[in-house]
Amino acid sequence: MTLGVRVAVGLVCLARAVFAQGDSRLSARLDKPTLDAVTAIVDSARISKLPTAPLIDKALEGAARGVDGQNIVMAVHQLSIRMGSAKRALASNATPDEIKAAASALDVGVSVRDLARLRAVAGKQPVTVPLAVLTDLVGQKVPIPTATDLVLQFARSGVKDSDLALFQRNVRSDVDQGADPTVAATTRARGLVARGGPPPKPSE
Amino acid sequence: MMKEIARQLRAPLTPPVSGSFDARVMSAVRRLPRHSRFKLWSRLTTPRTVTFTPLSWGLLAASVALFAVIGAARAFDDIQVATKPMVTALFPKTAAPKPPQRVQFVLVAPDAKKVAVVGDFNGWDVDHAGYQAKHRGGGVWSVTAPVPLGHHRYSFVVDDSVWVADPTAPRVVDNDFGVANSTIVVQEQK
Repeated sequence: MTLGVRVAVGLVCLARAVFAQGDSRLSARLDKPTLDAVTAIVDSARISKLPTAPLIDKALEGAARGVDGQNIVMAVHQLSIRMGSAKRALASNATPDEIKAAASALDVGVSVRDLARLRAVAGKQPVTVPLAVLTDLVGQKVPIPTATDLVLQFARSGVKDSDLALFQRNVRSDVDQGADPTVAATTRARGLVARGGPPPKPSE
Repeated sequence: MMKEIARQLRAPLTPPVSGSFDARVMSAVRRLPRHSRFKLWSRLTTPRTVTFTPLSWGLLAASVALFAVIGAARAFDDIQVATKPMVTALFPKTAAPKPPQRVQFVLVAPDAKKVAVVGDFNGWDVDHAGYQAKHRGGGVWSVTAPVPLGHHRYSFVVDDSVWVADPTAPRVVDNDFGVANSTIVVQEQK
């Protein structure tokens, strides 16, 4: 090993020792190998200008659920990859909340292309709530193309976040009562867009 | 005799002639193994020629760059934290931190002995004092707690062991841990 290589290795070790991220919550709940791996992923995300809080939260969630270290590291790694894809799809000025919501949407199968379409339709309007509703619809077994089209339609119509939240609750209520998820979503959506206002509450 | 010894000692030293007895003795002495501490000292103090290969130069440059980038990022974070009070004082409208909103969490769990809310907003801490729900009667548990603005994932934990997603909130199926969480987007009250 030449002197240059030795110096390089020494500097990397020094950098790691000096700049190791010291989140006390992580160090209190993760074992050393898991902590080291999670810290490396978080540092890498920071350099890539991705939000790091969701990664730390993911690790803390895993620890709280009693998940083993290897799966925690894998989950944090996967989330960092999804957030990177989400950031690229939503453009570089996406907020951390939008990136986080988009990463959840990617996790349930929404495509990067659909995220980019939503960003293009919504323009500068925040897409955090539409993405949360989209993820929820897909989770309720509404087919991804249908759910995506509905949310894009809402974005084009300028539906407010509060109305979107009410729409989501109504669809969930319908599904809980036995309705077909796709029929419930499309019917409620038609009413929301046609009236240009919030749909009636489930109890009405 | 003593005068002769003194004269010899005062005489200037002359380098041993090549091939002479003195030269051979000094050569043999130099070949003897040195003490490790002396070797280290000698290595540190003796001038020598150092060669760098393109690979070693590249690694050296990359490590210095990495060191600088991480350091700059950390320094930027530290500077932001350190200057936050000053920025807040100078630009109160733009820099004032937005206060968390109080959010009510409700779960119907007739058989539960304990219900807590865990999520991104409290570090997924089951024992966090501010997020322990109270039994309001009839199996209804609720807690109103501060939640920062933004998108959060959360769940209820019943009796410290059963994780339950909020039935009224949007849900996100988590393929990483194989469970569903609820999501909430807390926005500023207008």
